[in-house]
Amino acid sequence: MISLLVLAVPFLGALTAAFARSRQVARGVALFSTILTFALALFLAGDGGVSLLWLPGFNAYFELSPAGAASVLVLVAALVMIPTVLYAGAMLGERTGAFLGLLLGMQAGLNGLFLAKDLIVFYLFWEATLIPSVLMLGIWGGAQRRQAAVKYLIYAVTGSFLMLVAILALKPLSGAVSYRLDDLLLVTPNLPLTTQLWLFVGFALAFAVKLPLWPLHSWLPDFHEQNHPSGVADVAGTLYKVGGFGFFAWAMPLLPGAALAAAPVLLALAAFTALYAAMIATTQTNLKRLLAYASLSHMGIVGVGIFGLHIAGLSGAVFLLAAQMLSTGGMFLISGMLYERRRSFDLNVYGGLAKTAPALAALSLFVLFTSIGVPGLANFPGEFMSLMGSFQTESGWNLFWTGLATLSVIAAGVYGVNLYQRLYQGEASGAAPDLRSLEAVVLVPIVAGILWLGLNPAPQLQRIEVQSQVAVRELENAGKNSNLLARSDR
Amino acid sequence: MFDLDLNWIAFSPALSLLLVAAMTLLIGLFQDDGRVSAAFSFIGIAFAALLNLHLFASGQVTGVYSSSFGLRFLADAPALAFNFIILIGLTLAMLMSYDYLERTGLDQSEYYPLLLLSACGAMVMVAAGDLITLLLGLEIMSLAVYVLSAWRQGARESEEAGMKYFLLGAFASAFLIYGIALTYGAAGSFVYGDIALAFLGNGFGNGFYALLGGMMILGGLGFKVALAPFHQWAPDVYTGAPTPVTAFMGVVVKTAAFGALLRVFGSFFVGLPPIVTQAFVALVVLTLIIGNFSALLQRGLKRMLAYSAVAHAGYLGLAVLASGAVGLSAAVWYLMAYTLMTAGAFAVLTLVTDNNDHGDALERLSGLGRTRPGLAAALTIFLLSLAGIPLFAGFVGKILVFQAAIQSGYVALAVLAIITSVVAVVYYVRPVAYMYFREPEYQPLDHASTSTRWAIGIAAVATVFLGLFPGLWYGLLDAGQRIVAGF
Repeated sequence: MISLLVLAVPFLGALTAAFARSRQVARGVALFSTILTFALALFLAGDGGVSLLWLPGFNAYFELSPAGAASVLVLVAALVMIPTVLYAGAMLGERTGAFLGLLLGMQAGLNGLFLAKDLIVFYLFWEATLIPSVLMLGIWGGAQRRQAAVKYLIYAVTGSFLMLVAILALKPLSGAVSYRLDDLLLVTPNLPLTTQLWLFVGFALAFAVKLPLWPLHSWLPDFHEQNHPSGVADVAGTLYKVGGFGFFAWAMPLLPGAALAAAPVLLALAAFTALYAAMIATTQTNLKRLLAYASLSHMGIVGVGIFGLHIAGLSGAVFLLAAQMLSTGGMFLISGMLYERRRSFDLNVYGGLAKTAPALAALSLFVLFTSIGVPGLANFPGEFMSLMGSFQTESGWNLFWTGLATLSVIAAGVYGVNLYQRLYQGEASGAAPDLRSLEAVVLVPIVAGILWLGLNPAPQLQRIEVQSQVAVRELENAGKNSNLLARSDR
Repeated sequence: MFDLDLNWIAFSPALSLLLVAAMTLLIGLFQDDGRVSAAFSFIGIAFAALLNLHLFASGQVTGVYSSSFGLRFLADAPALAFNFIILIGLTLAMLMSYDYLERTGLDQSEYYPLLLLSACGAMVMVAAGDLITLLLGLEIMSLAVYVLSAWRQGARESEEAGMKYFLLGAFASAFLIYGIALTYGAAGSFVYGDIALAFLGNGFGNGFYALLGGMMILGGLGFKVALAPFHQWAPDVYTGAPTPVTAFMGVVVKTAAFGALLRVFGSFFVGLPPIVTQAFVALVVLTLIIGNFSALLQRGLKRMLAYSAVAHAGYLGLAVLASGAVGLSAAVWYLMAYTLMTAGAFAVLTLVTDNNDHGDALERLSGLGRTRPGLAAALTIFLLSLAGIPLFAGFVGKILVFQAAIQSGYVALAVLAIITSVVAVVYYVRPVAYMYFREPEYQPLDHASTSTRWAIGIAAVATVFLGLFPGLWYGLLDAGQRIVAGF
């Protein structure tokens, strides 16, 4: 039942906020709905879920269940949404209600996407979440917003429509009785390898666009650069980087044979993405583009963890997915706060802010450290496990690529520290006010979340691992059935 | 020779439309206010809907659906479902006409009776279990629409539209009649079931005539549903006709023609050589490509919607190919969704264009999200639904149709359809981008119309509602699958 509520509360909140007469009401409703969603999400893990026949004849079920990673992702996303909505309500001068409506609509869509245990319903939320995301970019974005929105839309829609072909073909080809994950899992892993590969390509393209994975990532820098300068839409976009989750929860368990065959290629792409994006991040002079590439680099590590096909890597990657919602999301919120002070994202206009804004500098450093992967903070367990999992292999190529991805962690240190220096140290570029009370309130949940995930990751990891085991079980069975890859490490 | 088997109740929905049409025509002789005929027409629609509901409910309860004239006029589950769609399309078209006619000075009392007559013909077409009934229905429907599309007298586009539609329509009818004659010659019967039996029977020796007849019937009906390359009339006629008439043509005429096509495909086309199906596949491929890519090139919303109607004929073609219960329910579902979203989009269009239906260029939509937020939101719903984006009815229709095609082995065709629907997303989202992502450039026209608002509201709510709870309409269809396509 709570599964349904974490969908219904933001959805109703979105409608109320969008049609609210006054800005104040919209802000109040939105904030209340995010806090309520978070409170509900705290109790999500034990929920039994719901299952209703959605489309008879087609055998699609409206089935939601928080089992596995969903409970963690919904919870962390709900936590991140509280400061985001708070900050959005304060920063958007115009049509605040509509924006908050879209933001909450995205939250509802994302929760549905994480909780769905029926492939059609998963696709439904996957695609529906795109609408508010594109609208936020197109309406409130910067000067080049239209081009950015079109690029984003075309990438996303092409990918997801190809996935739709694969989804629609999956049931007739496998002879499954319904689109429920449990029913599909009984038959789809037994599909012949060639069929699996074709279907996997359909899924993989959609997920690779959203992961995002090089070379399908080029919408991402524009997307972040052009979004509203407050950074709130970027946070929502960060939550929506769910490609890794798609591989983890759907493509790999359903088509394990193909996953085994394709994993080395995808691993190489992910590792390359991680390093390439980190290198580019070091050369950026635009704050938002830098953050976009940094985020892309993290996503590469998520990919490395997943395509390593090892249980530790899988769990770690999903954990990192949750953790980066806090770290990358926090950085985007801070970028909005910086923009407030200098009206620019050009790093050259910054410098020496630590003198007049020490508290902001300290919090930025904290979030940057998270992003770099300092132990004790949220990103570390995920990053470490992702890389460690992928090192558990006997394939020389896999070792090579994982090693390469590990270098991106060093590059992260470079661009992270460099960014801090350019913003806060060196010659003062003029006075800047320190943390305002609203900004402090906005950053509190982020910092608390980072410490919470960083210091006590075990409970969340255990929840994720339940689902990792499903994927690993299917992969192992597929490995036994074919002599494609003998994974002797386990 | 045969028992007349006259069963009034079976065709009572169509009959009530006919009677009201005749009545309003008579009233129009003494009373030249279109609003009176409109009021009568709505009563007629309500009667037709009630009778249709009665037939459907009794069919559901007893499991036996009525028919009349032997099996020449069927009131089976598919026919009744199509009737509902036709009535909804008719209602929406009438609602958006009500103030539009007054505003544009096209208010003449014959307008509503003609719409009713046309819808009556559409109901006959979907009920036809016999080629002659089909032809009668088609002509009743078409003649009224020829007149309606030239309704804006003195305006070149409208007159041209009527003339073009009439000439090409007559040509297509001739094709259909030749096809019917050849089929009769080959099979010795007009009734679908008997023709099928003759075709499939041992020692059937008129294969060539049957094939020729089938191809010609396909061409004739292909014209009415606007399958490429028989779609040439559609963009001009849709653009030239007054917008509410365009909406009516786009939804009711299409529903009727697809209803008929599904029946012939589900019955005696089974007995024809596979080349007929292959020809139809070729038409669908052409339609998907030409319809979608031509829509991409349009700068005017009305013409874009005209090509979109062509493209959707292609998607519906997938359902026809997947005949049988799956294809039929998919097609019926799709047509319902298509009727709501297309009629809704045209209804919005009547409020943003001037009295001559001009000013539908994309630039004119700039900033509509600010200047007329309600209209912009509704149009966004309809366009996203047409694009097949989830949460809206169009998405469910699309997955049903694609799934039906894949199940019937047309995987490559389904892939093509999905690739072309990526193109469709671009042209459907473009107006949305103009409305929301740009600043207003023009002062929008401030047409206000309560009835059009109702049409938009009903269509928008239904589009969202069906998208969220698709089981309701699908469940109704599923219960009535005992008689499929005239067998």
